Amino acid sequence: MKLLAMIVVTVLAMYAAQTSLLTYLDYNGVSANLMLLLTVSTAFLRGHYFGVAMGFCTGLLQDLTTGDFFGCATFAYMTAGLIFGKFSERVVKEQFLIPVISAPIAAAIYFFITTGFIFMIGYPIDILNTTDKVLIPLIFYQVIFSLPVHKIVYEFDKKIAEYM
Amino acid sequence: MEQKYKQKKPTSTKKIIAVIAVFVMIFFSIFLAARSKVEFPFFSKTAMTVLSPFQNFFSWTGSQITFLKRNLAEMRYLYKQNKQLREEVELLRAQNLTASEYASENQRLRALLGYKQVATQFDLVAAGVIGRESVTWSSVILINRGTLDGVANNMAVITEMGLVGHVLEAGANTSKVQLILDPRSSVGTLVQRADSRVAGIVEGDMNNPTHPRMVNIPKDADVQVEDAVVTSGFGGVYPKGIVVGKIKEIHNDEGGLLKYGVIETSVNFEKLEDVAVIVKSREAPPEPLPPILQTPGTETDPEETAERMRKAQEQLQQAQEQVQQQQQEQLQQAQEQFQQLEEDTP
Repeated sequence: MKLLAMIVVTVLAMYAAQTSLLTYLDYNGVSANLMLLLTVSTAFLRGHYFGVAMGFCTGLLQDLTTGDFFGCATFAYMTAGLIFGKFSERVVKEQFLIPVISAPIAAAIYFFITTGFIFMIGYPIDILNTTDKVLIPLIFYQVIFSLPVHKIVYEFDKKIAEYM
Repeated sequence: MEQKYKQKKPTSTKKIIAVIAVFVMIFFSIFLAARSKVEFPFFSKTAMTVLSPFQNFFSWTGSQITFLKRNLAEMRYLYKQNKQLREEVELLRAQNLTASEYASENQRLRALLGYKQVATQFDLVAAGVIGRESVTWSSVILINRGTLDGVANNMAVITEMGLVGHVLEAGANTSKVQLILDPRSSVGTLVQRADSRVAGIVEGDMNNPTHPRMVNIPKDADVQVEDAVVTSGFGGVYPKGIVVGKIKEIHNDEGGLLKYGVIETSVNFEKLEDVAVIVKSREAPPEPLPPILQTPGTETDPEETAERMRKAQEQLQQAQEQVQQQQQEQLQQAQEQFQQLEEDTP
């Protein structure tokens, strides 16, 4: 119970940091997406079910608080959790380079899913321009923050493993 | 126990169905939410309430970091600006100094030019003092004009204030000038006052290097303190009429027959920077006559009067010539008559 509370508080703190502290380091309004990194790392360490579950929680948190289109972030994070969770069996848990390499891919998945939804909803979107202005800075931030986030998730994963 | 755990654990198919169901629900909820048909105000508010302490904390931390970053940037900017301003101040000080120097030089040269325009009897070559001989008993300066500029030995050197000395040795580009303060220098002078005009020689005094003496003044000569002393033109080196200074004190000479005056030079030799060499001097043109005051109402045109006078003079000259001619003719006739009488007389 205590561990669950710690995980919840950590997720909330990370989300709060993403929406407040990291905005001071933004580039053209784009900053790091810690919730996506959290989902991907969880998926790598705990498999696709946990990945989807984490994606659901973090996505819902984002959609309920700051999300522009309800469900977009949830769907994107769940998809990312599912895809990267599928690779979890083939990845060694101590391999820290994998989350760093997968961070740009996860960012691209998140970006294309959200822009795809926005397009489907009926908003005109210049995909090339948006890619240049949003995706590239986002990838840059994700690569930088992927390792620290993965470290945190890894520590929690160890504690969960001990607990179980 | 293991069996119990297996019973509680949902099967893989059920998990997949659940995941797919969630995906489908989320997928449709996106479109429904976009049309404002699905809203979760309660959950949204709850999530925001739970998040708010964290966000407040991180927001405060972020603002502090930004404040610090801004302060640091400002400090860096101020430091840079301060450095630039210091450099600018140094540059402006240097420029100010140069400008002051130029202003001072300009003032001196203007004064010298003014004198040059007034003293039409002299052809002057302006020169700057570039050195001073550092021997205590001599007063010699070095100027930046030489034979290439028309300067030659024994030419008088002056400023707009008065006499400086004479060229001792003219080089190609520079010349040595012996000041009137030098004990070896002697200048023929006169007291300028019209009813005095006493002549004397101004020479440097080794005991009083800043004040030369006017010597060889007869004891009963009319010389007073504050009398202006000018060059007499005797000796050929110094042209006549250049101001030397004023008599400051008068003392009796040791012999008892003569006296001498201590001269306060008109030139400040301590601040001597620009001088002029008299390369040629001529007789000063006479002063133009001042216009004669005429009685109001009887004014005449001076030019017309002069013309009439000239004509009258011409007429007078013609009359004189006629009289002379008549006289000569009469004299000639008389001589002829006399000769004829002599011939007639046996």
